Amino acid sequence: MNLNYTEEQELLRDSISKFCSSDYDFETRMKAVNSELGQDKELWKMFAELGWLAVPFAEEFGGFGGDEVDLSVVFEEFGKALVVEPYLANIVLGGGVLRRADFAESASYIEKLVSGEVQISLANYESQKGYVLGNIDTELNAEGLLNGSKSTVLNAPNADHFIVFAKKGSGYSFALVDKNAEGLTLSGYKTYDGFTSGDLVFSNCKPVAVFEENNALEVLEEVIREAIVCICSEAIGAMEKSYFLTVEYTKQREQFGSSLSKFQVLQHRMVDMFMETEYAKSFLLKVLATEDKDEKAKLTYGLKNQVARAGKLVGEEAVQLHGGMGVTQEMSIGHYLKRLVSIANVFGSADFYLKKYSES
Amino acid sequence: MDLNFSKEDQDFQSEVREFLDKEYPKHIKAKMDNGDDLTRDEIVEWHKVVAKKGWMGHSWPVEYGGTGWDATKRYIYLRELALEGCPMFIPFGLQMVAPVIYTFGSQEQKDKFLPRILNFDDWWCQGYSEPGSGSDLASLKTKAVRDGDHYVINGQKTWTTLGQHADWIFVLVRTSDTGKKQEGITFILVDMKTPGVEVKPIITIDGDHEVNEVWFDNVRVPAENVVGEVGQGWTYAKFLLFHERSSIAGAPQMRRAINSLTKRAEKIFHDEKPLAEDPLFKSKVAQFHLDLDALEMTELRGLAAEREGKGPGPESSLLKIKGTELQQRLTTLALEATGHEALPYGGPYGFENQEVMAPKAAQSVASKYLNFRKVTIYGGTNEIQKNIIAKAVLGL
Repeated sequence: MNLNYTEEQELLRDSISKFCSSDYDFETRMKAVNSELGQDKELWKMFAELGWLAVPFAEEFGGFGGDEVDLSVVFEEFGKALVVEPYLANIVLGGGVLRRADFAESASYIEKLVSGEVQISLANYESQKGYVLGNIDTELNAEGLLNGSKSTVLNAPNADHFIVFAKKGSGYSFALVDKNAEGLTLSGYKTYDGFTSGDLVFSNCKPVAVFEENNALEVLEEVIREAIVCICSEAIGAMEKSYFLTVEYTKQREQFGSSLSKFQVLQHRMVDMFMETEYAKSFLLKVLATEDKDEKAKLTYGLKNQVARAGKLVGEEAVQLHGGMGVTQEMSIGHYLKRLVSIANVFGSADFYLKKYSES
Repeated sequence: MDLNFSKEDQDFQSEVREFLDKEYPKHIKAKMDNGDDLTRDEIVEWHKVVAKKGWMGHSWPVEYGGTGWDATKRYIYLRELALEGCPMFIPFGLQMVAPVIYTFGSQEQKDKFLPRILNFDDWWCQGYSEPGSGSDLASLKTKAVRDGDHYVINGQKTWTTLGQHADWIFVLVRTSDTGKKQEGITFILVDMKTPGVEVKPIITIDGDHEVNEVWFDNVRVPAENVVGEVGQGWTYAKFLLFHERSSIAGAPQMRRAINSLTKRAEKIFHDEKPLAEDPLFKSKVAQFHLDLDALEMTELRGLAAEREGKGPGPESSLLKIKGTELQQRLTTLALEATGHEALPYGGPYGFENQEVMAPKAAQSVASKYLNFRKVTIYGGTNEIQKNIIAKAVLGL
C-alpha cells in the first residue's frame, strides 16, 4: 500500500500553490468574477505556459500524460484560492470528452486546448431533466442536424466550440458545434458561485463533426465521474482554507474582553470543521487509490455525498463564526460557502448520489 | 385545553380573509407571489393599507391605538397574513422602538412618535451593533456628549437593516465611561435628516443591498429625544431585544413556503421519478412539518403568556434559535431540490435582461439561501441566545 503523492505531483502542487499565493489573491479573483468574461485571458495564457492545461492529455498531443490524481492535486490547490478560471469546463469536461472520444481532427482541438488558443465547453444537462445522464431531449436527427436545448453550460459565453451530448437513433452521440454555427442561440450569465455559464438552443443546427462510436453515454459517464472527483478535490481545498481562515479570524476578533477563539463552544465547532475536512480527504484518497472501475465509480458517488455534506457544514460554520462580516461580499469567507454549496448541488445532490451509491 | 377556534374567532378569521381579499393590493400580491423584491413605496403602501384598517397595533395596548386582541386573535391575524404571502411588517418602529417608547418614554414622545408609527408615516431603523461590538453589544463606543440642550453624537453603527429607507433611527450611545460597561448607555432617537448622519451600503453575499453602516459625525440631537433615563439604555435595549427575538420565528411563512416547495417538487426531476415522490425528500419534508408544529405551538404559548401580562422574556431566545434553524433548513431544502437550475445569478452580468431556461421559481432560491445565513447571526447570534437561556432560564 502507498498513500503518497509522487514527487511530480508534489512539484505540481507546489507550483500551483506558489502561483495562487503570489498571483491569485482574493482581489484578483473578484476582478475576474466581476468582469464580463468572468475570467482573465492573460492568466489563462499563463496557465498554458506553466503547462497546467496539459496535465491530463496524452504526450502525443503535447500533453503531460497525467491521471486523475494529478487533476485532483490541481483542483485541491484551486479550491484553496477559489480559482474561477475555466479549467473544469475546458480541461476536464470539454477536454475530457476529447480525450476519450475520437472525433475527426480531435488531435488538433486538443493541441489548441492545451496551448490555450481555444476554449471548448461540454453541453449535456438540460433544464428540468435532472441528473440521469441519458435523460435528455436534444436530438441529432437523420439529416445530421441538432435540435433541442442545454442549460447551465459551464463557461458557455467564452467557448469557441461546444461538445453537445445528444440522442441519435436509438443511442447517443456527441456533436461538435462552432459557437457561430447557424441555428445556435446562446444566452450567457453569471452563476451565484462566481462562475460563468449559459443556456444553448439548437434549431436545425449543423455540427462540424459527429462522434461515430456507439459508446457516447459510457464516455459521458466517465467524464462526469472524473469531474466529480475534481470538484470534490476543489471543495476539500476550499474547506481546508475555510477552517484555516476561521481559526485566524476568531483569534483576532475580540468580544467580551477576550478573543473569540478562547470560547470552548467555538473551539469545538472549529474542531468539527477540521474533522469533516479530514474525513472528506480520506474518502478522496480511497477513490484515487482504487483501481477497479466499478468500485471506483461507486466510491465516487459516495465521495460526492460525503463532500456535499461536509462542504456545506464547513462553509456554513465558517460564515457563522465570522458573524456579520461573514455574510458580506467584501470578505472572502462567504465566497467559499457559495462555491461549496454549488459543488454540493451540481451534477446532482447529496441525496441523488447517496441513492446511486447504495444502488451501485 | 382546546385547540379549536371559538365561533367568535372563526368570524374574526373570516373578517381577516375578507380584508385581505378586498384590500391586499393586487400588484403587491403578484410581486410577492413571484418572489420579486418590493420597492420602498410598495412596502409603505402595504403598511398604510393595514393602518387604514386599524390593524397595525396588533401587539400594542389599546390606549396607544392597539387592537387589544387576545393571543388567539393575534395568532389568527398573523397566520392569515403569512398564509396569504403578505409582506412582513417592518418591525423596527412597530415592534421594536414603539414598545420602548410606550413603556419608558415621555408623554411628549408618545404623542409625537406613536401615531406616526401606527400610520407608518415614519420608517424606523436600528442603531445597535458597531464594528467592534456585535455579540458583545454592551461594549459599544458611539459617544454622545451633552452640549446645552443637545447631545452631540460621534461614532459608527453597522448592520442597519433598510437604513437607506429610514426617516428615524433609534441609537444606543455611550454617555458615560465610568462603572460597568452596561451602565452609561443611553437610548436616543435621531432624525436621519440631521446633518452629519451618513448611510453607507453593505453588499451581502447574495449580492443584495439590505444592510448599511450608519456614521455619525458631530450629529446634534435635542436632549428631549433621550428615551427614559440617561444611562439606563441597556435596560431598554434588552427589553427591545426580547421583543425582536419573539418576532422573528416566522412559523406561518415557513408553512406556506414548505407547501409551495412540495408543490414545485411535483415537477422537479432529479432522476426518473418526480422529487415529490422521492422517499429521501419526503422524509425531510415530513420532518420539517413536524418540527414546525412544535415551533408554532411554542410561539402560541409565548403569545398567550404575553397576553397574561408576562411580556416576552428570555424564553423568546428559544423561538429565535429554533425558528432561524428551521428557516435555514427550508432554504437549504429548496436549494438542494432546485439543483443546477438555481445557478443563474441576478447580479451584474447575471440573468437580468436575459432569457434563462431555469423556471422562474428557481431564480431566487440561491440568493434566498445565501441571504438567510444572516438569521442565525442577527438579533444576537444563536450562540448568544444559548448563553441567555443557560444563564437566565437554567440558572447556570
